[in-house]
Amino acid sequence: MNSFARWWEVARREFLAGLRRPSNWVLLLIVGLMAWFLSEGSVTISTGGSGVGAERPHITSVFNQSLIQCVIIMVIAAWFMAISCGMVVIRDLELQVVEMFHSTRLTPREYVWGKFGGAVGVFAAIWMFYLGLSMFAAHVVRGAGGSDLVGEFALGNYLFPTLLFGVPQILLFAGVPFLLGTWTRRPILVFAFPLAAILVTMTFLSSWSPSWLPPEINRLLMLLDPSGSRWLNETFLTVDRGVEFYNTAPLDPDTGFLLSRMAFGLVGLAAVAGAARVYARRTLAGGVESRFLRRLRRRRAALPVPATPSKATVADLEMATRPLGFWKATKLIARSEVRDLVVRPGMYLFVPLILFQVLTATVLAIGPFNSRILLTSGALAASQLNTLNLLICFLLLFYTVESLHKERSRRLHEIFSSTPVGTGAVLLGKTLGNSVVAGFILLAALIGDAVMIGWQQLFGGSPVGFDAFPFLAAWGLVLIPTFIFWTALITALFSLFRSRYAVYGVGTALIIYTVFDMQTGGSPTWVTNWLGWNFVSWSDMGPFTLHGTPLVLNRLLYLSLVPLLVALSVKWFGRQDFDAMGIVHRIRPKPLLLGTLRALPFAAPAIILASTLAMKGESGYQGDAADEWTEDYWRKNTATWTDFRMPSVTHVDMNLDFEPGERSVAVEGEYTFHNHRDHAYERIPVTAGPWDPIEWTMEGESYEPDDRANLFVFTPDEPLEPGDSLTIGFSYDFVFMEGMSKRPGGAGQFILESGIVLTAFSPTFAPVPGYLPGIGVDGDNSSEPRDYEDDFFEGETEPLFGWGGAPFTVRTRITTPEAYTANGVGRKVSDEVVDGRRTVVWETDHPVSLFNVVAGKYAVSEGDGTAIYHHPDHDYNIEEMTAALDAARRYYSEWFYPFPWELLKISEFPAYAGYAQGFPTNITFSEGIGFLAKSDPLSHVAFMVVAHEAAHQWWGNLLTPGEGPGGNILSEGMAHYATTLLHGQVYGDRYRIEFSKRIEESYGDGRFVDSERAMVKTDGSRAGDGTVTYDKGGWVMWMLQQEMGRDNILAGLRAFIAKYNPDPDFPVIQDMLAVLRDFAPDTTAFDDFAAQWFHDVVVPEYEFSDVTKEREGDGWVVRGTVANAGTGRMRVEVGAVVGERWSDEGDDRGRTVVADGYRDARTAVVLGAGESAEFVIRADFEPERVLIDPDVLVLQLNREAAVFEW
Amino acid sequence: MLEIRNLVKVYPGPVAALQGVSLDVPQGMFGLLGPNGAGKTTLMRIVAGLLEPTSGTVHFNGEDIVADPRRIRRQLGYLPQDFGFYPHLTGESMLRFLLVLKGVQAPQGVKRLASELLDRVNLSYAAKRKVKGYSGGMRQRLGIAQALAGDPRLLVVDEPTAGLDPEERLRFYRLLAELAEDRTVLLSTHIVDDISVLCPRVAIMYDGRFVADTTPAEARSRLAGTIYQGVVEKDDLDRIDRDYRVTQAILFEGRNEVRIHLDEGPPPEGFEAAEPTLEDAYLLLAQANASGNGSAVAEEARS
Repeated sequence: MNSFARWWEVARREFLAGLRRPSNWVLLLIVGLMAWFLSEGSVTISTGGSGVGAERPHITSVFNQSLIQCVIIMVIAAWFMAISCGMVVIRDLELQVVEMFHSTRLTPREYVWGKFGGAVGVFAAIWMFYLGLSMFAAHVVRGAGGSDLVGEFALGNYLFPTLLFGVPQILLFAGVPFLLGTWTRRPILVFAFPLAAILVTMTFLSSWSPSWLPPEINRLLMLLDPSGSRWLNETFLTVDRGVEFYNTAPLDPDTGFLLSRMAFGLVGLAAVAGAARVYARRTLAGGVESRFLRRLRRRRAALPVPATPSKATVADLEMATRPLGFWKATKLIARSEVRDLVVRPGMYLFVPLILFQVLTATVLAIGPFNSRILLTSGALAASQLNTLNLLICFLLLFYTVESLHKERSRRLHEIFSSTPVGTGAVLLGKTLGNSVVAGFILLAALIGDAVMIGWQQLFGGSPVGFDAFPFLAAWGLVLIPTFIFWTALITALFSLFRSRYAVYGVGTALIIYTVFDMQTGGSPTWVTNWLGWNFVSWSDMGPFTLHGTPLVLNRLLYLSLVPLLVALSVKWFGRQDFDAMGIVHRIRPKPLLLGTLRALPFAAPAIILASTLAMKGESGYQGDAADEWTEDYWRKNTATWTDFRMPSVTHVDMNLDFEPGERSVAVEGEYTFHNHRDHAYERIPVTAGPWDPIEWTMEGESYEPDDRANLFVFTPDEPLEPGDSLTIGFSYDFVFMEGMSKRPGGAGQFILESGIVLTAFSPTFAPVPGYLPGIGVDGDNSSEPRDYEDDFFEGETEPLFGWGGAPFTVRTRITTPEAYTANGVGRKVSDEVVDGRRTVVWETDHPVSLFNVVAGKYAVSEGDGTAIYHHPDHDYNIEEMTAALDAARRYYSEWFYPFPWELLKISEFPAYAGYAQGFPTNITFSEGIGFLAKSDPLSHVAFMVVAHEAAHQWWGNLLTPGEGPGGNILSEGMAHYATTLLHGQVYGDRYRIEFSKRIEESYGDGRFVDSERAMVKTDGSRAGDGTVTYDKGGWVMWMLQQEMGRDNILAGLRAFIAKYNPDPDFPVIQDMLAVLRDFAPDTTAFDDFAAQWFHDVVVPEYEFSDVTKEREGDGWVVRGTVANAGTGRMRVEVGAVVGERWSDEGDDRGRTVVADGYRDARTAVVLGAGESAEFVIRADFEPERVLIDPDVLVLQLNREAAVFEW
Repeated sequence: MLEIRNLVKVYPGPVAALQGVSLDVPQGMFGLLGPNGAGKTTLMRIVAGLLEPTSGTVHFNGEDIVADPRRIRRQLGYLPQDFGFYPHLTGESMLRFLLVLKGVQAPQGVKRLASELLDRVNLSYAAKRKVKGYSGGMRQRLGIAQALAGDPRLLVVDEPTAGLDPEERLRFYRLLAELAEDRTVLLSTHIVDDISVLCPRVAIMYDGRFVADTTPAEARSRLAGTIYQGVVEKDDLDRIDRDYRVTQAILFEGRNEVRIHLDEGPPPEGFEAAEPTLEDAYLLLAQANASGNGSAVAEEARS
């Protein structure tokens, strides 16, 4: 037999053994299911149109296959692959077969490469199965149904991604663990590599990409990412290239990336070669020893062997046996496990690894607008919960299984099992011993967090101190029960299967399925969410107030399963090898029934708790019953009332009596309707929530309206004639979010002990006039978005939001416990406390179009006609927020329209919801926005969000946009524009430029090329409309300002607001342009600008080429070519510069200071789509670089690439 | 008294490792002899409560081991055929751990007891060495030390002398013999000398059945006058093998030393009567069972 034949025999045997291994069958099942379900199109490139008939990205394209394959291999295959390959030599060593192998002609090299080949062969077979099934499912099953997700079959679309992304990863994740296993012979180290690689790759290398990351670092990370997904994303996917490109273009890797892929593959192969070398030395030469070990061995060898052993008898020892008690035995086993952990390297490897992952992820976390996040104890404890949970569960899986398998792998199990120590004590002792790892990691993470918070406090100027309570509460409540349950489950699975590979397979599959399900929109309930995923939305204003009870019951449920699992483990644990016939006897119906009956007492608490959670959740506010009325509401009313135009509301009077601890409120109120139209109303509909019973009045008299599934229709004795008024009153009390929640998650509005936030957008606490077409619409009855005519805005347009009609006055009388401060719209006219109850009355001093209520236990910071109500400990950004609010009130009043109300205030609410809303005079902010942002001088994030939300007082309230395409841009786009202006006004150009760049990048990353429509057509219904509405909207207005001139555009905007405030016709973009045109100095240029930026979709993308510089006389001449690879025709500046532009010296709270050494010289070009122009710049200094648009005045793609540096 | 009744063990395959064996093992040393694969280890593991039988019962001093294996663990000393230890522990730590697990107590305390037990198996000098540095014989002695520990009423030792040098083997014989004075010791081996030296009674297993239950002396005496020994040239060996029942043939310095069993008739030329050994009896049984004539020979041995 030649060398190849011997290698082939080893590989063949390993391959066949691998095919029988349970973990590989689990992997086969997982990839099979994924191939099948992914063929449904659940994972596709974010591109293409979303309307009916729009072209969609093909699941079969090379790009989509690349996206899927690089992630699947990294997350799933790397894991199974590493275990499979890393353990092959360890397993043979445990079986003590290698010495016999090498007594034959089999060489270590043949053996090692054969083992590697066999193990990789198994994976290759599984992967071929995956590819084959993917092709079959896509082209045969889905393709036969004419799915628009399936393109033409091209084998290369499947094989090329496998070659490019799969093979290097496979070699890497097979080779390196193979070396680790062969070298160290420790399973734990075999697990460490894939875990580390997956952690670092998924959370950092492939995904961490803040806007300020230098391109060269970005490129380096692309090359270092073993999955290749960063390269794929950053090169092709982040900026949408259009569905046609992704469906038809080939995937062309650049040389650098190809080399990095080859390098990963070679590292894997080199690791196998290294393994062969190490194996040969250790196996045949007696081991690789350090000099120290050799010395030690020699010294030991020199120890004398006594020749005169004792002649005493065993009886002399007077031994007796008294079996250990349960706890003593548990303690003994636990201590032994801890000693074992301490001497093994795994813990020293895993703990820093996990700490590194958890802490760096926290430090690098990016908040709104790419801002950094303030590290507070509560935020840290909650944000790290999922990561710690996942990683420690994985770790407990290894340690528990290896610990349970330890005696067997060391051939001690027969001696161990024959001792009288109880099985329960053995299992508990092992569990406790291994839980030390979890405890150690949690302790280390806690210390790490304390250090980070302390560091931030000492050196970062943060006022936030460390508080252990959130960690103890969140981690103690969520993590500890999960770990106990998980360990018990793993122990039971091991006891059942008696195979470490089966447990690894099942355990890993369970975690992957759970996390995958939750991350892809699955919504496990309190009954099924065993992992505790997303359990805690921390609020410093009152943790656990939203889901406290179900959370505790969920934890009790899984803890109550532990005795059952323990009982099963004790019963099944392999101290005695079962007889096959015995198993057959045990699974007969009668013994099974008896076994089940015996298990019932153990299972009873879990059954009771699960039933309670299920029933309470189902009957609670998230249950199906809670939504039943909405379906009836839609069915009974949509045909009749959808196009019904309501009379105006002129006054709202509300009395609200809150009991936050009970989540209840008693409501009494009255709406005054006024017929501002030219026809009479026979019926007036009002939508109410499920507040049974409601006492209604009409004109002060008790009244029973027609109840059409919560649309209450009032029919006055006499029709409401034009100009007439009518009052409708109501009273009811209810518990908001009654009962228990069904699943974890946030809430948009709530009445909680920690705070109250309610809005009149929808009938959450107050009836809403008219029929609301969005209620009761779900997947079954949703329709395509409305198709608007081009002239839809002619005549009267209904408002985009609010109650319609003219603004109205509001009086809100709010009663709460004394400790609360309650804010409504308008100004506070009274505040009194009687018998521990505080009653405040808010009245509007100028009409509003909507109202809200917010309350909490606040401290107040007052500015100039402004106030910020916040949690007493959340004063970190108050100064900056107050400055922003004051500046907004002052400058927006100057620029847009005088602020008509007495007070502009912001109120904080608990982070169970994560939004901010600019209700008139009463802006609400989640604590996570602004209050807990890390507002560094560069981002001014607290300033930014306040500036944006404050702008809605003008753009949203004083000017309420019309319903229809482009309407929302007058709210959100204009708020971004106002924010841009306020940045420049308060902090100068540097920070205006920074903000503009951020929202420009947000637009570049978030747009969908094929979906994007002109701004006058953007209605929010398509993918990518959000960034067009906010980011592009703000940017285009900023460019329009350059076109018209600052004074002209502001004068035009003032005129625009004045014209439409109030007006029965609510404006859209076309109305704004019509007003602004009158203020444009050059109407032709204005029309051209509007045509391409408002009525068309353009975006330039500039590129430099042939750039040179040469000395000419005393100065320098820069020549080059600049091309517009994008679309649109804009005048843009090209700058030749030296030095950094901005200085941090003397920088007072982030105001712009130009650096001394900075100089620039500029020229300008006008380039249309696909055009290029040569440019010449003369400078009296030697330029260091050439860049486009130095002042950031033209919206464009890939700005950071349009830089030439010498 | 260890009572084994109708014990059957069928492994998946199916392979019948035990085919309804019954045996009474009285107090004292009891040997279990048989070739590889005879079912000895299966029987030992069932007796030690580590393996569930397919059917049958095992009682020790009236307690049902099959129904509740926990009962035997309190009074069991067990040395398996194949075992290992935690490699990172020293011999002394390992033994101490096992002593505590077993609940062994002694007036001098567990620590001192561990040292003294190591002394009994001549491992004191390596007490502080990690087990991973032990040779095969040292590991075997550590295994013996743990099996002897406590006051086990039933000592089950499976191939205990494998890997021991002659000196250690003798020492072990002495220790076992001492223990067997007032308890039951079940010794499984295929080394006939171990049985000859130690066991007043022996059962011989073959193919999952007991083919003999006797004493070494009985087995030997039954063969008295039927064993002949001689030296045979290489060319003659085939003829002798064809014409006589050869129990042993050992090639030594180019010549075959051959022992034959002959019930009647004259022995071959050059052969002389020899003292029967237990090995002769065992090998005859093995040959007879291999040729399907086991029951007659077994009867002979049993009688």
